[in-house]
Amino acid sequence: MDIDDILREVDPAHHAVAREKQDLQDLTRAWIAERSAPELLHWPSGGLFERINANIKRQIEKVEEMTGDMDPRTNFALIVIQTELERYKYLVRSYLRARIAKIDRHTLHYLSTDELRSRLSEMELAYATRHQALLHNHYLSSFLSSFPPALQNLNDTAGNISMIDPPDLESAVFIRLLRDTLVEGRGVDADGAMDGKESDIVILRWSDAKPLVEEGSAELV
Amino acid sequence: MPMYGDLGNKLVQHAKRTQNLSALPAYQTELVRSVTREVRDLDRDVASMLEPFQGSFDPSENQATACTLLVNHLSMRRNKRCLLAYHRTRTDKLEELVWKGADLIDLSGQGMADGGMNGNGNGEGVSSGGGGSGGGVMSNLSPQEEDYVRQYGDLLAAYKGQWTDIDLTGSLEPPRDLFIDVRVLKDAGEIQTEYGAINLTKNSQFYVRQGDVERLIAQGYLQKLG
Repeated sequence: MDIDDILREVDPAHHAVAREKQDLQDLTRAWIAERSAPELLHWPSGGLFERINANIKRQIEKVEEMTGDMDPRTNFALIVIQTELERYKYLVRSYLRARIAKIDRHTLHYLSTDELRSRLSEMELAYATRHQALLHNHYLSSFLSSFPPALQNLNDTAGNISMIDPPDLESAVFIRLLRDTLVEGRGVDADGAMDGKESDIVILRWSDAKPLVEEGSAELV
Repeated sequence: MPMYGDLGNKLVQHAKRTQNLSALPAYQTELVRSVTREVRDLDRDVASMLEPFQGSFDPSENQATACTLLVNHLSMRRNKRCLLAYHRTRTDKLEELVWKGADLIDLSGQGMADGGMNGNGNGEGVSSGGGGSGGGVMSNLSPQEEDYVRQYGDLLAAYKGQWTDIDLTGSLEPPRDLFIDVRVLKDAGEIQTEYGAINLTKNSQFYVRQGDVERLIAQGYLQKLG
């Protein structure tokens, strides 16, 4: 048994189905996309996070099982698994935090329409609703309650300025093309279009990149 | 005589300054109250100005009045925005602290330390256990903010509780090494790890699993080396 065997043995993608590898890839991709995109993206469907949670739980149990073993070989494997586990947890944590940060910044915006609400997971929705309620309460008890009633709302649109601040969809993102496709972008002075080749990396406005990402022709980097 | 909106502007300046400070400065109770009062006064002015018209006000016939009304309305809205911005900046800061694991006692204690440094001398009379309502006099937080911190802490704990294995408030630095060198800055007592108990006494140095001590690093008991 050489080092490759050990590595293969502890590699969760090897002896299990490819699904776990796929999940990790999906998670990584979702994480990168979420961190680059200026607006909140859809919560991944299809039970990805249920599976991820189950995987993490299983690995933690495995670590606990192996801890008692003093065999140096197990010990080494243990370190590999733990390192991997920490990384996996970091991915999930960073992903969730990136989403929470976005939700916190534009809470009312994401709660305003059903389409936007559907992007949040159930837990996030509960969190956002409660957080907004807390904030509103705080404003009310701090000063808003002594305002004239007409001015107590948090969603005024008077003077053509909405109080609900949406994320800036025009900010720039980098995307990598996953297949040959036409890339159209709007510029300040003139609009541009180019025939993109697979694996080209382009910088453009998120609002222009969004359709490409959604149809799977490109991914955020 | 101060102009409309001067006070609001002051609040915004306070908020701006708060963004760059590590600790939260004292809540401007008086300023908030004055701005709110200004809004109420303006609203009363508007009402009394509109009163003689009995609801049949035509802006094109009374352009001067219309202009005054417009300015009053805009000033009220501006004041509201200033107040919201001020409070939001502070709650953002508070939330950040909650995420970092600070609790109310820490936050109030911070205010006491500041008070002591400013040479007020009042801070010394307050016992350190007096966080929350007892330390309210010296706290930089308004009572409403203290409530907010408490409630937000509960909310965060609830959300975190659904991701127990991840430790949501953990480090956002990508993990590099499983084990790290740490130096103990403050006595932290004994901690349990899977390799047995470690007694963390001041100035000692250990090679430990990062996940085990992350909390303590964030709280300032340990310092990461290398």
